[in-house]
Amino acid sequence: MALLETKRLTKSFGALTAVNGVSLAVEAGSLHSIIGPNGAGKTTLFNLLTGTFPPTSGQILFDQNDITGTPASRVAHLGLARSYQRTTVFPAFSLFDNVWVAAFATGKSWKGLLHKKTSDYAEVTGRARQALQDVGLEQKSTQLARQLSHGEQRQLELAIALAAAPRVLLLDEPAAGLSPEETRRMVALVRALKGRYTMVLIEHKMDIIMSVSDRISVMHFGSLIAEGTPAEIQKNADVRRAYLGGVAA
Amino acid sequence: MKKPFLLILISIFLLPLVVRPAIASEIWIFAIFGLGANLLLGYTGLLSFGQSTFFGSAAYVAGWMMKVHGINAFLALVAGIGVGALSAAAVGYLCVQRSGLYFIMLTFALNQLFYFTAYQWTSVTGGEDGMPGVPRPALAGIDFKDPLIYYAFVSLLFLLALFLMKRITESPLGKILQAIRENEVRAEAVGYNVPRFKLLAFVVGGAFSGLAGVLYAMLFGIVPLEAISFVFSGNVVFATLIGGSGSLYGPVIGSFVFIWLSESMSTVWARWPLLLGVAFVLVVMFLRGGLVEAWTRFWTWRSSKQRD
Ligand SMILES: Nc1ncnc2c1ncn2[C@@H]1O[C@H](COP(=O)(O)OP(=O)(O)OP(=O)(O)O)[C@@H](O)[C@H]1O
Ligand SMILES: [Mg+2]
Repeated sequence: MALLETKRLTKSFGALTAVNGVSLAVEAGSLHSIIGPNGAGKTTLFNLLTGTFPPTSGQILFDQNDITGTPASRVAHLGLARSYQRTTVFPAFSLFDNVWVAAFATGKSWKGLLHKKTSDYAEVTGRARQALQDVGLEQKSTQLARQLSHGEQRQLELAIALAAAPRVLLLDEPAAGLSPEETRRMVALVRALKGRYTMVLIEHKMDIIMSVSDRISVMHFGSLIAEGTPAEIQKNADVRRAYLGGVAA
Repeated sequence: MKKPFLLILISIFLLPLVVRPAIASEIWIFAIFGLGANLLLGYTGLLSFGQSTFFGSAAYVAGWMMKVHGINAFLALVAGIGVGALSAAAVGYLCVQRSGLYFIMLTFALNQLFYFTAYQWTSVTGGEDGMPGVPRPALAGIDFKDPLIYYAFVSLLFLLALFLMKRITESPLGKILQAIRENEVRAEAVGYNVPRFKLLAFVVGGAFSGLAGVLYAMLFGIVPLEAISFVFSGNVVFATLIGGSGSLYGPVIGSFVFIWLSESMSTVWARWPLLLGVAFVLVVMFLRGGLVEAWTRFWTWRSSKQRD
């Protein structure tokens, strides 16, 4: 059963149609990857799914409910969490505070918002700790985010998404700018999370995509040009042409 | 971190020995004003140039109610806090959708709107002459006409305000506002309605400004037109930045320095704001954390020297 679905989703920026009639179905529990050349519209698709801006036309269904046009802060509460292609953390916060504030947002109750201490929320604190542990940063929880290396910042980026305990995890190029060694660790991490969450993964590195995905959708100039299992995509002629710089059929 | 609190307590006791009680009271009143302004400036990262809107509105309304309707001091405080919060809600509502320079200009423009209303409405505000005749009504049999007793009253309310602001900044709200300052996009994405939280910061900060406004009117027995002007809005930002906008105690120290300097210097040298200008430039260029940062830097430097 599809947990997250789009129907003819379209987003235009003036004359440019960044996402063009995309219909996608992400099965519950699966890892669904989205690939495509630079500027294909992958990040824009994530922005639509998470309510950063509303689509020009089309629909988004989450768990059979129409969530089209729901603003970002509300989408998070529905159980969709994302990470960013360009690291988007809270620089002057400790790592713990980074995940704590994300965990609190989706907490059961905001009672005591103005007067309780942050340490009074045991469930939130537990979830925050767990998120840091999941990405292997628990040893550095008191360090400031801006003092981290790029690789560790990418891990924190993911931890912030995890802290919300989402139902669907949208990861936008988690391995962007990582060294080969760091990439290996990130791939292992994504593999470990597979099955625990329904995941949508944007990635450029083909070897990663082919080894972790259940299904792959290929975007080119805003449109979906192919969808299938890793084996099917590898054989697809349109996909090869798109990646070699040719025009899609 | 008991040290800052102890220092403040000592200052409260020693201050009336050094300066006139009126000046001493003004310092703590201005500090309350600064606490509220810093919730926006330091914690949420919003540079509001319209804080005197809430301070002045509260001073006028509560002052008028004491003067004309003879309400007691307690009701006056409640009214002032309410007016401060309400006017901040109205101004905040219009401002939180904007960002950057537009936000700053809008807080300033709305402040001007309130200012000219007060300027024109002479039958109530007295316009340029100010609204005189604000009494200092008694409360539970305590007569505040004695300047030292009023000073004690102001000091108590300041301590209460400081305690409340400490709780707020250590609460989830404090964390969320700082998260908005650090990264608005991510704060929204993890599930916070950013404009609504900014509005909440306005309202809470406005309530503190309102409290300060009433105490100010009662202190001097008059609401001068400046109390709602951009001069006061600028002063509180100024004092907060010099003290240190990044911390709870920054605006308290800033108020101390600012009021003391302005009272002692203005009689000696009419051009003294020049000094403030220089101090301001120095802080912005070299000392983003204000005097609080200078203090911590000094101590880390000293302790590192002692270790050698
Ligand atoms: N907010 C925006 N306003 C105008 N144009 C935009 C906006 N966001 C994206 N675009 C444009 O839409 C197109 C798709 O961009 P998008 O970031 O979605 O691509 P992408 O597939 O994520 O590329 P990459 O692999 O480089 O990350 C690009 O041409 C981009 O310039
Ligand atoms: Mg992208």
